[in-house]
Amino acid sequence: MRTRTARLTAAATAVASAFTLAACGGGSDAAGGKATVTTWVYPVINDEKANAAYWSGLEKKFEKANPDVDVKVSTYPWADRDTKLTTALAAGKGPDVAYLIPDQLAAYRRNLVPADEYMPADAKAAYRPSALKAVTVDGRTMATPVLMSAYPLMCNKKVLAAVGADTAPTSWDELAALAPRLKKKGYYAITYSGDTTATLNMTYYPLLWQAGGEVFSADGKQAAFNSDAGVTALTWLKNVTDRGWTPKDLITKTPSIEQTDLAKGKVACTWQNTPAEVAGFWGKENIVIGSALTQQKPVAYGTVGTLALFKGGDTGAAGKWISFVAQPENVAGLVEPGGYFGARTDGTDLYPGDALQQATQKVLDSTDVGPLNTAARDVMGVLAPEIQSALLGKASPKQALDKAAAAADQIIARKR
Amino acid sequence: MAPTTQAPAAPVEPPSATTGPAPVRPGRRRTTAPEAPAGLRPTRTGKLVRAVLLALASVATLFPFYAMVVLSLHPQGAVELPGSLFPWRLTGEAYTEVLGARDVPRWLFNTVVYSLVSVVGVLLLASLAGYAFAKKRFPGRETMFWSFLSMVMVPYHVTMIPTFILISKLGGVDTYWGLIVPTLANAQAVFLMRQFILGLPDEIFEAARLDGCGELQIFFRIVLPLLKPVLATLGTFVFLWHWNDFLWPLIVGQSAEMRTLTVGIASLQQEQVPLNQVLAGSVIAFVPIFSAYLVGQRYFTEGVVGSAVKG
Amino acid sequence: MAAVAEHPRPDRTVRGSLRRKEAWAGLLFVLPCLVLFAVFRFGPGLGGLLLAFTDYVPGDVTHFTGLENFRRLVADPLFWSALKVTVVYTVLAVPVGIGASLGLALLTRRAFRGSKLFRSVFFLPVVTSLVLASTVFVWIFSTEGPWSAVMGFLGLPDQSWLSDSVLVLPALALVGIWSRCGYGMLILLARLQDLPAELEEAALVDGAGPVQRFRHIVAPQLRPAFFFLAVIETTNSFQVFDAVYMMTGGGPANASYSLVFQLYDTGFKYFDLGYASAIGCALFVLTVVVALVQRAVLGKEK
Repeated sequence: MRTRTARLTAAATAVASAFTLAACGGGSDAAGGKATVTTWVYPVINDEKANAAYWSGLEKKFEKANPDVDVKVSTYPWADRDTKLTTALAAGKGPDVAYLIPDQLAAYRRNLVPADEYMPADAKAAYRPSALKAVTVDGRTMATPVLMSAYPLMCNKKVLAAVGADTAPTSWDELAALAPRLKKKGYYAITYSGDTTATLNMTYYPLLWQAGGEVFSADGKQAAFNSDAGVTALTWLKNVTDRGWTPKDLITKTPSIEQTDLAKGKVACTWQNTPAEVAGFWGKENIVIGSALTQQKPVAYGTVGTLALFKGGDTGAAGKWISFVAQPENVAGLVEPGGYFGARTDGTDLYPGDALQQATQKVLDSTDVGPLNTAARDVMGVLAPEIQSALLGKASPKQALDKAAAAADQIIARKR
Repeated sequence: MAPTTQAPAAPVEPPSATTGPAPVRPGRRRTTAPEAPAGLRPTRTGKLVRAVLLALASVATLFPFYAMVVLSLHPQGAVELPGSLFPWRLTGEAYTEVLGARDVPRWLFNTVVYSLVSVVGVLLLASLAGYAFAKKRFPGRETMFWSFLSMVMVPYHVTMIPTFILISKLGGVDTYWGLIVPTLANAQAVFLMRQFILGLPDEIFEAARLDGCGELQIFFRIVLPLLKPVLATLGTFVFLWHWNDFLWPLIVGQSAEMRTLTVGIASLQQEQVPLNQVLAGSVIAFVPIFSAYLVGQRYFTEGVVGSAVKG
Repeated sequence: MAAVAEHPRPDRTVRGSLRRKEAWAGLLFVLPCLVLFAVFRFGPGLGGLLLAFTDYVPGDVTHFTGLENFRRLVADPLFWSALKVTVVYTVLAVPVGIGASLGLALLTRRAFRGSKLFRSVFFLPVVTSLVLASTVFVWIFSTEGPWSAVMGFLGLPDQSWLSDSVLVLPALALVGIWSRCGYGMLILLARLQDLPAELEEAALVDGAGPVQRFRHIVAPQLRPAFFFLAVIETTNSFQVFDAVYMMTGGGPANASYSLVFQLYDTGFKYFDLGYASAIGCALFVLTVVVALVQRAVLGKEK
C-alpha cells in the first residue's frame, strides 16, 4: 500500500516529480562560507520607513559582532501571512527565523526548533511567566517572546460624556445599560468587526472567554465554542447588533480605520483597537482605558509576539540572532512605536508617566493569547462566517455555533 | 494559461472554431456605422431620449473612475457625501505616501516585467507554432493542434493547483520565471496565429525558400513582418491580461517585493491602509492601461471584434 | 499544395528531402510550445485529476483516497452553498449584462456626433482590472457610500448591500455587469454593422414599428452573437473571484462564497490541495455541462 501510495503521489504531482530538484530545505544557502539567516517580520512597526530603519540597524549591529553571519530581514504584510508562510515552507523557501504569535507556534510546531535549545538560561529567567506560558506547547518553550500587548476596553471620553458617564464600563451589563442612552444621542456603544479575515482572537473570543467559555476542549480534540457560554456570548453580541448598538456594515468588511464610525468619534468603546490607532482621531486626551471586560470573568485579548527558529538552516547562527534581538535594549525599538510592552522584566520602563500605557500594562495579567491548537486558524475560517450568519439573523446563535462546531471537529480530526 | 477571472477583452475562441478554418483577420475593420438612412433617422424625441439614456449610462460607467481619482486626491480622512466628491481641497499627499513609503514603484516594475516579458514570449512562441501548424507538414500536426486547442476548454482553475505544486517544487515560487513561464502556454494565441497565417498565400514562402532562405530566415524576415497586425492586437490583449491578472500572481508572489500591482493593491486594502492611499495605488495601476487604451484603442476594439464575431 | 505547381517541379529525391526538412522545421517550431504545454497545461490537467483522488497536503505523507474527496464534496454543505452562490450570481449577471450590452449597442449603433466617444467610454471598464475597480466599489456600496444614498432616495433598501446576505450578490453582479457590458456591446455592434440597412428600410416601408423591426430583423441577426456572449459570459461568471476576494471575502455568512473562492480558500488557506482539486474537477464538469446545455438550447438554429 505504501509503495503504491508513493507511486501515486509521484504521478499526482505529475511532471513535477520528473523534474523535481531536491527541494532546498530552509532558506539558508551558505554563500561564501557565510551563514545566511533569512528573517521574516511583519509591520509590527507600522511606519514602513521606521520599520526598515529599525531592522537594518539591528542587522548591521549584529553582523558587526558576528562577521560570519549574513542576516536578511524582509517584511511581509499581516494579511494572508499563514498562506504565505505555509506556501514558502512547502516550496522549501521558508525563512530561518520568523515573527510568530502563539497560535502559529502550535500550527508550525513540526517545523520549529524549540527555544529551549538556544535560549540562554539567564535570559529565560527574565521573562514574565505569562509570556513564557503563552509560548509553551506540549511542555516546550517553542519560541522567544519579544513583545506583549493587551486589549482592554478602551473608550472615547467625549462620547461617554455625552451620556454623563466618565469611566469605562467594566462588564457586559454596564455596557448594555449605557448603550440605549448612547443610541438616543446618535452614538454606537461598541464596534464589532465581523470580517472573515479578521482574527477571532480579537473579536469574538474575548466575549467567549468572558462568558467562561473556551474555544477548544481541554484535550484540544473538539470544538467547545458551542457551549452555553458560547451561546451566551453570541446571543449578547446579536442583541447588540439587532438593537443598533454597533455599526452594521462592519459585519462583512472592515474598511480602513479613518472611514469607520470609530474614527469619526461615533463609537463609545472598543476592545479591538489600540490607543495608538485611535489617538490621531480622538485626541489622546479623550482616550479612557478601562479594564478587561467581564461577564463571568475579566479577560482581554493580548498577544505575545515571538521570534521562532525554523528547522533546516544554520540553527546556531539563527539562535544567536534571535537571542540578540530579544535583548531588552535591542527589542525596545520594536516594542515602543506600537505601544507594546516588553516580554522581559529586566528592561527599563518604556512609558514612564504615560497614564494610558500604565493602565494597559495592568491588564497584561488577565490576557489570553488565543487557543494554541494546530487547527486554531482553520477553525476561525469556519466559525467566522457562522457568526456573521447569526448576527444577520439567518440562524440562531445556537444553530450557528453548532454548525461551525461540526465543521470544526472535522477539521481538527483531519489535522491530527 | 488563460487569464484568471477577468478575461474581458481576450481574443476568444470564435464560435466557428470547430466548424472550419475560416481565417480570422483582426485587420482593419469598419468601425463607424454609416449615417442612418433617412427613414431610420431618429426623430427629435428619439434623439432626446437617446441623449438622456447615453448620459445616464456614461455617468454610471464613469462614476467609479471619477470617484477613484477624486478621493485619491483628497487628504486622508473620512469620506463624506457629497462634499468629498467635489474636486476641491485636492492634494497629492496620498501619492507621495504611496510612492514613497509603500512598495508601489516596485510593484509597478514587477507588473511591467510580468506583462512585457509574457507578451514577447507568448507572441514569439505562438507565432512559431502557429506558422508551423498553418504551413508546415509534419507528422502529428493535427493531433497536436487540436490537443492544444482542447486545453482552452479546461478552466484555468483546474490546472492552477498542480501548476503551483510544480512551480514550487522547481523553486519558482516568488521568482519572475515562476510567475511568467507557466503563462506562456497560451492556446488561444496559438490558435489565432494559426488562423491568421492560414490566410497568407503560400507563394511568398515558396518563393523565399527557392531564393535559398533558411527556415529561420523565412520566419523572421518574411513571416513575422506579415504578422504585424495580428501581433499588435494579440500583443495588446496578452499585455492586458497580465497587467490585470490577479489569482496566479497572488499565489506565486510571496514577498512584498514580488507582488504585482493588483496583488499589492489588494494587500494595501487588506492592511487597512487609508482609503485615499489605496485609491492612489489603483490610479497608478490604471494610468498605464488607460494611456495605452487612449493611444491604441483601435487594437483593443478590433481584436475583440475580429477574433470573436466571425461565423 | 497548389502553389508548388506554379514552380518548376523539383525531382523526387530533392522533394523528399525538402519534405523531411520541412517536417523537421515544423517540429522544431512547435517544440517550444509543445514542451510548455506538456509541462504547464497537459501535465497539470492530468495532475489535477489525479490529485483529486489523494489527500495531498504539502509536507505530509500522501495517501490514495479513492473517491473520498468526492464523497466529502457531495456531503459538504459549503460546496452546495458555493455552487448555489455561483449559479445565482451567474443568473443575475449574465442576462442583465447581455441586456445592458444590447441597450448600449442599440444606443451607439448609428453614427452621430460623439458616438465613437461613447463607445470608448463604455468599453473602458473592460480594460480595467476588477481588483482596482473593487477598491472604489467597496466604498460605493458602503453604508455611507453613494449607492446607499441613491437607493435611499429611491425608497429601496439603503443599508450596505455588501453586508446583507441577500443583496450582496446583486451588488457583486452589478459590479460584474459594469465591468463586462462594454465587451458585449462591441460584439453586438460588430454584428449590427453587418446588417444591411436596406432590410430595415424595407421593413419601414412595410409599416413595421421599431419593436417589430427589432423582433423580425435585428434580433435574428444578433442571435449568433447572443449565443456566443451567453457562453463566454457564463464561463466568466462561473469563475467569479476577484471582486469576491476584494469586496466581501465570501461574506456575509458565506452569502458570496463562490466556487472559485472555495477552491482558493481550500487550496491556499487550508492547503487541502487534494480536496481543492476535487472542487476544480467539479467546476470543470459544470462548465462543460452548462456549455453543452447552452449549445442545445440557444444554438439550435445553428
